[in-house]
Amino acid sequence: MITKTVGCPKCKNHIKIQGNPGETIILSCPKCETKGKYTFPAERSVSETSSDSFSIEIEGLTKKFKDLTAVDNLTFKVRTGEIFGLLGPNGAGKTTTIKAILGLIHKNSGNIKINGFDIIEEGIKARASVGYLPERVAFYPNLNPLQTMNFFCELWGVDKSIAKPLIKEVGLEDAINRKVGNFSKGMVQLLGVAQVMIGKPPVYILDEPMGGLDARWVKTIREKIKMLNKEGATILFSSHILSEVENICDRVAIINKGKLIAEDTVENLNKYLKIKPRLEITIKDLDGKIPNVIKDLKGIEAVDAKDNKLFVTCESSVRSQVITKLEEAGLKIDNIKTIEPSLEDAFVRLIERDA
Amino acid sequence: MVGFNPRSTYTIAKKEFMDNIRNKWIIVLTIIFVILIIIFSYVAGAGAGDVFGNMQASAMGLLVISSILIPLIAIILGFSTISGEAESGALYVVLSYPVRRIEVLLGKLIGLGSVIIVSIFIGFGFGGVVIATTTGGESWAGFIGFILLSIFLGWIFLSLSICVSSYCKRRITSIGGGIVLWFWGMIYGTVMFAIMYATGYTFEDIAIGNIPDWFFNSVVFSPPDLHQTAVMRAFGIVTFEQMGYSISIPDFLNIGMLLTAHIVWFIIPLTLAYFFFKRRDI
Repeated sequence: MITKTVGCPKCKNHIKIQGNPGETIILSCPKCETKGKYTFPAERSVSETSSDSFSIEIEGLTKKFKDLTAVDNLTFKVRTGEIFGLLGPNGAGKTTTIKAILGLIHKNSGNIKINGFDIIEEGIKARASVGYLPERVAFYPNLNPLQTMNFFCELWGVDKSIAKPLIKEVGLEDAINRKVGNFSKGMVQLLGVAQVMIGKPPVYILDEPMGGLDARWVKTIREKIKMLNKEGATILFSSHILSEVENICDRVAIINKGKLIAEDTVENLNKYLKIKPRLEITIKDLDGKIPNVIKDLKGIEAVDAKDNKLFVTCESSVRSQVITKLEEAGLKIDNIKTIEPSLEDAFVRLIERDA
Repeated sequence: MVGFNPRSTYTIAKKEFMDNIRNKWIIVLTIIFVILIIIFSYVAGAGAGDVFGNMQASAMGLLVISSILIPLIAIILGFSTISGEAESGALYVVLSYPVRRIEVLLGKLIGLGSVIIVSIFIGFGFGGVVIATTTGGESWAGFIGFILLSIFLGWIFLSLSICVSSYCKRRITSIGGGIVLWFWGMIYGTVMFAIMYATGYTFEDIAIGNIPDWFFNSVVFSPPDLHQTAVMRAFGIVTFEQMGYSISIPDFLNIGMLLTAHIVWFIIPLTLAYFFFKRRDI
């Protein structure tokens, strides 16, 4: 299967398509509804692979604040059309990296390109390709959402008629005449999400987009991110909600103390780190106690118990032995579930290893 | 200017104007402005023997207000425009758009400067009409010059406060910088008088007009003093009363020289503001 991003010949919108070598597909632009055909090449050449086309390229980025090296020789690339997660503990350098990508802070060394444009040499073109939602988004307290959106539409050079629909899309239509200064943190964040979609750029950089939002809006933003990606946009996404990153991202980069410590898919990271799946065994009357019969069993990495659930991390070959031992001990097993290693497991393991 | 987009500057100027014209401090100061203008016009006029007096005498009364309130309005508008927005996060979004920092800086200057113009027109314009209708408006040209010079004074302090805001990392630091700027303008004349006394000049010297040239030249280091001198020149006044003494403005402080000094006070802080803003990590 080949994944490719093509540009609409009419409105230049980026469309993400998938198909097999030699296959012809009929595609329709989600923006202007222009229809067209595309034939994937019979042989998958290097140039046709998504891995060859990068929307964000960072090479040897270093940023120092006096004696503190916030970002240290960081190199990673975000493929066109993917959702890329940037992870790290607090103070790891995520926001500094994002600000450097946008040219908001001056790097000490390294090269940064957005959509092929160098952020220093061709800053205007680079920033014209990207929509940015900062971690601490703020707007002008005396303007209402419509005036705020109109301002950003004008600044981007797009028709102001899109302002109202975007405000409605994020659910702020009831507050359209209220001053932004009277908004809650969550409402300001939603306005930020509306703002980021103004120019329909091919690249989005979202720094903690779900921060400070309740579950309903987290879901809305998650769906927005997926929708933008479906339309062909590349998304660099930073979050501390690892389950969200895991749900959304194609690949992740984990940074710690300004350095890249891992870059891959979540699945590959877990494979690489040899993180084993966990068994979740529901046992009647367990009462949070770990049964002695499995304590000394070889091949078990970790055991934990909570209420009537027993969590066992072990080699797959040992699983049957665990179940047998528990049954032999007279414990009544109600349910067995295998929990695959999560991004959180990989994240914790990597950060601990790097410490 | 190569690669300069005036549309971005216009958009930012318009936004700054819309956001700041509703700033409650600016509204309060403009109201105080109007009230003081009426009071000063009455006091100055009473001294001249009429109810509202002649325009020149009233304008001299207004000069005191303009030298105090206009710098204050400009500082309130400009002190946090970079540091405050960088701290709050509003500047992150703007600078992530395809705009240059020079476009943002000039947009802010024009937008905030337009708020100053509106405040001055509401304050002095309204007061001026009252004075003109009651005194006959025999010095209209001087009064228009006064308004223009007041705008110039506002823009100088705006340029200075934007410079402070571009330099200071935090909003609270730029408040301190703004206060220092304002006090400098307020106490400068008194400090110069004190230096004159300290260097051996007596009250008798001042009474007979024996004042050193450096004292007059020193007005170029203080925009409010520069403004007062230029306004007097605009009205054709060469002798004025200060601390009970009659002081004559020397010929070398002509309107051309005073306007040049105004321009220098505007351009240099603005250039420095751009220098600091361009190098600033947001």
